Amino acid sequence: MGLTRRDFIKASAAAAAFAAVGVPVVRPKDAQAAEAGITWGKAPCRYCGVGCCVLVGVKGGKIVATKGDPAGPVNKGLNCIKGYFLSKALYGKDRLTTPLIRKGNKMVEASWDEALDLIASKYKEAIAAHGPDSVAMYGSGQWTIHEGYTASKLMKGGIGTNNLEPNARLCMASAVVAFMNTFGSDEPMGCYDDLDLGDTYILWGANMAEAHPVLFSRLIDNKLKHPGVKLIDVATRKTRTTKMADEYIAMKPQGDLAAINAIIHVILRDKLYDEAFIKQHVSFKRGKENAPYGLKDKEVFNETPADIKNLTFDEYKELMKQFTPQWGEKLSGIPAKKIEELARIYSDKSRKVNSLWTMGVNQHSRGVWVNNLIYNLHLLTGKICKPGENPLSLTGQPSACGTAREVGTFAHRLPADMVVMNEAHRKKTAGIWGIDPAKISAKVGLHTMEMFRAIDRNELKCVWIQCTNPFQSLPNVSRLRKAAEARKAFIVVSDIYPTKSTEVADVILPSASWVEKEGVYGNTERRTQQWFKMIEPPGKAKEDTWQMIEFAKRMGLGHLFPYSEKGFYKEMWEEYRQFTIGVGKDLAPYEAYAKVRGMRWPIKPDGKETRWRYTEADDTNVKTGEGIKFYKAPGNKVNVWFRPYEPPAESPDKEYPFWFCTGRLLEHWHTGTMTGRVPELKRAVSGATIEIHPEDAKQMGIKNRDMVRITSRRGSVVLPAEINGRSTPEKGSVFTTFFDETKLINELCIDAFDPLSKEPDFKKCAVKVKKA
Amino acid sequence: MPVSGIVLNCVAARVNDIALRLAEVRCLEVHGVLPDGRIVAVIEADTVDDEVALVSEIQEIEDVISVQVAYHNFEDVNA
Repeated sequence: MGLTRRDFIKASAAAAAFAAVGVPVVRPKDAQAAEAGITWGKAPCRYCGVGCCVLVGVKGGKIVATKGDPAGPVNKGLNCIKGYFLSKALYGKDRLTTPLIRKGNKMVEASWDEALDLIASKYKEAIAAHGPDSVAMYGSGQWTIHEGYTASKLMKGGIGTNNLEPNARLCMASAVVAFMNTFGSDEPMGCYDDLDLGDTYILWGANMAEAHPVLFSRLIDNKLKHPGVKLIDVATRKTRTTKMADEYIAMKPQGDLAAINAIIHVILRDKLYDEAFIKQHVSFKRGKENAPYGLKDKEVFNETPADIKNLTFDEYKELMKQFTPQWGEKLSGIPAKKIEELARIYSDKSRKVNSLWTMGVNQHSRGVWVNNLIYNLHLLTGKICKPGENPLSLTGQPSACGTAREVGTFAHRLPADMVVMNEAHRKKTAGIWGIDPAKISAKVGLHTMEMFRAIDRNELKCVWIQCTNPFQSLPNVSRLRKAAEARKAFIVVSDIYPTKSTEVADVILPSASWVEKEGVYGNTERRTQQWFKMIEPPGKAKEDTWQMIEFAKRMGLGHLFPYSEKGFYKEMWEEYRQFTIGVGKDLAPYEAYAKVRGMRWPIKPDGKETRWRYTEADDTNVKTGEGIKFYKAPGNKVNVWFRPYEPPAESPDKEYPFWFCTGRLLEHWHTGTMTGRVPELKRAVSGATIEIHPEDAKQMGIKNRDMVRITSRRGSVVLPAEINGRSTPEKGSVFTTFFDETKLINELCIDAFDPLSKEPDFKKCAVKVKKA
Repeated sequence: MPVSGIVLNCVAARVNDIALRLAEVRCLEVHGVLPDGRIVAVIEADTVDDEVALVSEIQEIEDVISVQVAYHNFEDVNA
């Protein structure tokens, strides 16, 4: 019996899997022929911030196959389960294919001209009556770099408002502020190679196995190859990550602030620090404390330079004396003995220690402070800027780094770590953009929470949302939905599917997604990845850059985008690249990215990437003999901040006795706009559940899959109980995901946010739980 | 019918038992077992739906650490 075409495709599937595990096999002679007609192109994955490299197979104008890219250094030929659905997410039956305009309660089809003319007229009307700060744009860490750059130039350089925000405010803002106030430059010194080269990994509230599965697999590979590798999971919930950890350390919500301070106390008390490193590289600082939680509209923390005090090392040591392990145990729930042990692990000169964290630390009412404290651990022990030994803040979106952070689509930022408040930065930006510096406002725009609250206050008249779903994802979302439903502002939403945000839109615009357009993303480890357009978008769907530039033309701002049709991507890139040259954030010429599976900036004069920043071993900005040099920090000294414990905005009490925490799970991503469209994925994990500790469930008479009502001071949802499932929260806590659009989970969440980063705390509020 | 090539990461001591269990599964062929705990398999199901249901199921098997996808061909599937 001969072999069929399917047998050959199966042989190709097996060969790809064997290659990914490092076992070379030869495919049968005709296997290649079975794939005839498929054209393969490279792209980064569309989903999370890991930035896995994917090969996309196109035949007859459609995607017919995908592979983990064997040449991709991030994932080495393997994708997580979400990679399965990359292409299918583009082919949902309810894909948006034509512009829609609201007529009363109906959305009716319109031409692009009608839709764009209407948007421009509404923006012009608002600006004429109320000034440029009455309009806004809300974008995404899933925007390509070109999309973010277009938005920034349009809003900041054209319209003259800094009311531009990315949804990355909800996930990465705390990390950004801490990078800036510690190192003077955003994004990590280390990279994913540290996952292969280290021997000790301490996870702070991060379920990597589900949220960053490919990176977790790299870590596990390291552990399997090197039995000495130790993985410590400090968390409020036992997860798939815990199953692979050497040790699980249960921690109370907000306990990280206390636990890390207590670990530092031990390091200082027992002189476990690296004195030479501290002397050469570290300054000590104390900021403003007793911060508010942003619960009141327009509440500001307003920390000024005058509020920041310099400390000597001795003064810092004195201040830290209060944070004993016993004090730490009381607030964090981590036994004092364990705190002592962690201090010894962090300062063990024979171990290469890495800290890893993500939303547990960032979505935190004192998120910047916890980020600062983690850096303190590494700076006091000198365990930083060395291969296999670094702190690494993990991101959640594919271009949160590349677009939101590097382009600077936040209300206070400009490209390459510059800010609107700084006159020299505005001048440099205006010079590259060819505009009058006076056009860029020095006033920080509305941050995300204030932007959407301003709709309710009738202060914001127009907002254009692209590539994100805030009317599902924001905390205390019912207030914001009510304001939108009351048509308090003119709302435009560009997306690829109907969402909870298109529901409240006045205009819906159909967008092109992923390989339906050309683009560039920047991932967690400073890796910039480019891809070409491979297929046509459906119907009348258009790229977000096209939408914005057509709008700009109608606003009389078309001159800001003088790029040729043919050279659009390269020309815009080369303009943007000017911001990065010579400031330690150097990007390569556009064509260089077409040839490789991404490169990590700063790009060296010889065109090669940099794996580790601030070290002469790899970073050409550090001269031979200088060792480590934090050349972006003032005086080349980085800051160790004194950051005390402050309680969360809301804690359980008699009426609302449980902690409520939200997060992601492996099979679904964010609000489910893309993953929820894949029927098979929806069926595999159909809807949100509420995870309850078995003892709590028993006490309340709740059995697995019983329907349970969860109520906070802001809202109420009914969900099936999950007991002894994939993950188990600690006693007194419940956990759920936020992907399910049929349950607006974020109605329950408190809209408290970090005073410095303005990032909301989705991980802590109080709820009551009752059998429904 | 979609075809995918997958890699399972398992607790090394249990890899043979897991491979034997997988060998019983319809639509799945075990192509190789590595001593470090990895299994290479190919899934060929009637629909992507069935394929994914299977991957999700495999993921829940005790001592399976992760399931990753190296190759996915769905050329014959009507989107």
